[in-house]
Amino acid sequence: MIDSGFVLPTLALVIFVTVLPAAAFVAIMIFLRPYPRWAAGASITAISVSLVSAFWLIFRHWHIEVPIQYTVRWVVSGDLYIPFGFLLDPVSLLMLIVVVAICFLVQVYSIGYMSGDPGFSRYYAFMSLFAWAMTSLTVSPTLIQLYIFWELVGLASYLLIGFWYEKFSASEAGKKAFVMTRFGDVAFFLGLLLVLLHFGNLNILDLNGPGVAEQMAPGILTLSVLLIFGGIVGKSAQFPLLTWLPDAMEGPTPVSALLHSATMVAAGVYLFARMFPFFSHSSIAMSVILAIGTISMLAASTMAMVSRDIKRVWAYSTISQLGYMIMALAAGGYFAGVFHLTTHAGFKALLFLCSGVFIHHCNTNDMYEIGQRGGRRLVAPLICMIIGAAALTGLPPLSGFYSKELILGVLADRHNAIWVAAGLLGVFLTGYYTFRLIFIILFPASISEDHSGHGQDAHDNRLNERLMVWPLVVLAAITLVLGFFERPLEHFIGLRHTADAVPTSGLHWTLYISLGLAAASVGLAWMEFGRRGAAQIGFVERIPVLNAFFSERWYIDRFYRFLLDRVVYNGIAALCAKNDEKVIDGSIDGFGRGTARTGRLIAWLHTGMVQYRLLIIFAVMVLLGMYVAF
Amino acid sequence: MIVPFGHVLLLAGVLFMLGMVCAVARRNLVMILLGVEIMLNAATIVFIGASLRWQEMEGQVFVLFIFAVAAAEVSVGLALIISVYRRTGSVDPNNYNLLK
Repeated sequence: MIDSGFVLPTLALVIFVTVLPAAAFVAIMIFLRPYPRWAAGASITAISVSLVSAFWLIFRHWHIEVPIQYTVRWVVSGDLYIPFGFLLDPVSLLMLIVVVAICFLVQVYSIGYMSGDPGFSRYYAFMSLFAWAMTSLTVSPTLIQLYIFWELVGLASYLLIGFWYEKFSASEAGKKAFVMTRFGDVAFFLGLLLVLLHFGNLNILDLNGPGVAEQMAPGILTLSVLLIFGGIVGKSAQFPLLTWLPDAMEGPTPVSALLHSATMVAAGVYLFARMFPFFSHSSIAMSVILAIGTISMLAASTMAMVSRDIKRVWAYSTISQLGYMIMALAAGGYFAGVFHLTTHAGFKALLFLCSGVFIHHCNTNDMYEIGQRGGRRLVAPLICMIIGAAALTGLPPLSGFYSKELILGVLADRHNAIWVAAGLLGVFLTGYYTFRLIFIILFPASISEDHSGHGQDAHDNRLNERLMVWPLVVLAAITLVLGFFERPLEHFIGLRHTADAVPTSGLHWTLYISLGLAAASVGLAWMEFGRRGAAQIGFVERIPVLNAFFSERWYIDRFYRFLLDRVVYNGIAALCAKNDEKVIDGSIDGFGRGTARTGRLIAWLHTGMVQYRLLIIFAVMVLLGMYVAF
Repeated sequence: MIVPFGHVLLLAGVLFMLGMVCAVARRNLVMILLGVEIMLNAATIVFIGASLRWQEMEGQVFVLFIFAVAAAEVSVGLALIISVYRRTGSVDPNNYNLLK
């Protein structure tokens, strides 16, 4: 069934983008596992063809007016009709480019980073699996299809976090990520069922249409929006469920760059953007979402201020930037949110990949150690990292500056000043923790001798690191120039949704304040970590209470542990065990014992003597005869 | 009919009771078989009496059938008793409680 103007080349291109990585996954898992080179080759070939196709798609449809949808029937059961297919509109095209481009760069980078790993082929298989699931999620026309691929990216995330499964902490982290996101997914699924019951359709275009508010009662609509948002909370690691993401850093660094910062965790925000008109029907839900985004943004940045692990800092930073996007969307800034999603994917992947080079070179995640082992001798990654950090802080003219200003402008348009105040505080915290890390690596207290080894090993290492630098350069270039494409992108995205979205005004007073705050935060970081003779102890670390509070992640994990121990293990599980022991076991044992006892009771009747039986037969016959006769 | 039907029934009843007591009370397999035969004969007497009483031939035909069945049954029963006796050396039914 061809809905509207879906011509053959477009269809072929979409199939190329989405299905080729799946083919690579299957080929690697079945045929190519013993040949690491071939596996990497297959995976990268597939993703490069996808990349070319995706670019072709966006050039074909740069002036897209109406969404293009192509669906085929998948399941029909009674009134339920579930189609499967593709839906192309500006957001999905943009997201498709982001996903495929970063997948490609990360896979190229991984040749160096993962070389010599015994699981090299497996790694590329999982990467392809992820690329397939993520691209298919992006172009899903129905929420059911989206949900299926939503779970598949969760699976890929689980497999890749626990990639080094021999390490106990890695397999634990994978499990934690899986369970915590699943918690949100249950809410998501309930929300889908609610929509299906009251609206009868899960087509994204229909849900975004005007008919929803008429067909669904406001209470039900709010509830279903909040339930679907539960899935976003899980996937994008927002406030109550944010602790899985820092633990997910146990996976290989390129995985963190791809899944846990740029694309997979952004899937939650993408869903929000996709369902934006649907979500905006309920202003109560939007306020709740705004609050949750704000809390996550602030909470995660405070946690980042005290972490020593370089990857965890970026993980917290990811949570807080995702919080920014959700704030922007919830405040009505549709383009601001989507644009920040795009720029963030670029510079956060850049930051992670740079950290990967440092980790690969110095064999440690601790930023102080990296500084001491001479991390600053890696000039190219360091420059790229500073570019990424500046973009994260929101310094002009980098991409992060443009998107963050848009978000702050949207927040400032709200009547309540608390949101924009929180946003500005977030800018300050972001700048502080980012440049704390940079200065610690750049100006270590003492530098030990270069001990990166000699001979063939070191030569291989240097070769690998040179290979890893190229994706960094590409991403840094994107970060440098993406900001200047704000207007064309806004034009591209903004053709639809103009009715719902708040129009973004040009320059805003928040611009000057946030620039001042960013500069001040960098200055503070310089004072505490950068200048000669600095103690390299942050102001937060001087206050033990705050330090403990932040480094314990606001005691969220402790709270979950407590909840798990007290309520689940000692409460529900204990009750279930008691029920099992006492009621079920007891009744079955009692039944058996009762049968045995009754058997023993009547066993004396069974004497084994023929004549007694005969006697009883006669007695019965006589009694029967008497009964019949009288 | 010279003998009244009631007397025939009485005789049959007494005979049946004797057979029953014999079958239940004696501790010898042969005597139990004998008791069963006596009960069968009691039944045949009732058949003959009834056939005389109502002037019908079927009663006497039944008796012939019962004789045939009884003869077969006795021969099988005796064969079983002999086999059991050879195996265990006893004809006391209380010893045959292997199924207990």
